[in-house]
Amino acid sequence: MIRKPTEGERQEWRRDFEAAARRTLEQRMKYAFIKTYKPIMDDAKFRAFDTMEEYRRWCEENLPRWLGYHRV
Amino acid sequence: VFEYGVRYLFIGKSGAILLGFPDTTQDADLFPAKSEANGKALVAALSELKFELTDAESAAIIRGKDFVQLRNGPFDLDLVFAPDGIETFEGPKGKAAPITGGTITVSSTAGFSASQGRSLMRPPRERSRGSPAR
Repeated sequence: MIRKPTEGERQEWRRDFEAAARRTLEQRMKYAFIKTYKPIMDDAKFRAFDTMEEYRRWCEENLPRWLGYHRV
Repeated sequence: VFEYGVRYLFIGKSGAILLGFPDTTQDADLFPAKSEANGKALVAALSELKFELTDAESAAIIRGKDFVQLRNGPFDLDLVFAPDGIETFEGPKGKAAPITGGTITVSSTAGFSASQGRSLMRPPRERSRGSPAR
């Protein structure tokens, strides 16, 4: 179910977007790309999949659901 | 990357962030054009950026496997040669927005997958409370 945002939430989004728009590209790259260890996902230095289906199946069979890589 | 003439687009949340979307992500998603020449240029550029690629890994990139996940460089990078909902490289490239800042110019497109789109429709605070940033 999709909830309609409140006026307060809309204003908050607007402020967030306006603040982001004021940041330079270098600032966006510096602050938006963060690193948190993801179990299993980050335990190999390289993976390659022949198809996206193969990749998605691997995610579902190997990663914990809370990581957010399972199909909805 | 620019010196090697690699043809690529930032896609997904990393592309949206470069365009000014207020959020965070843990990796960059690149959609490279799929050709042997572009793959070779990409491997050369990645090597210069200090990604450590074996011959077999380089071959997978040059071949343009649908999805390549790199955790062997200065930042996490996903190469998506066949992103959902995008038939060819030329289609979204025509809609890509070049972004310039300082000495950096990148091209990004707002071609999100359905699942990413749903994620991005949620308010930033709610997203940060939910699943970890991707």
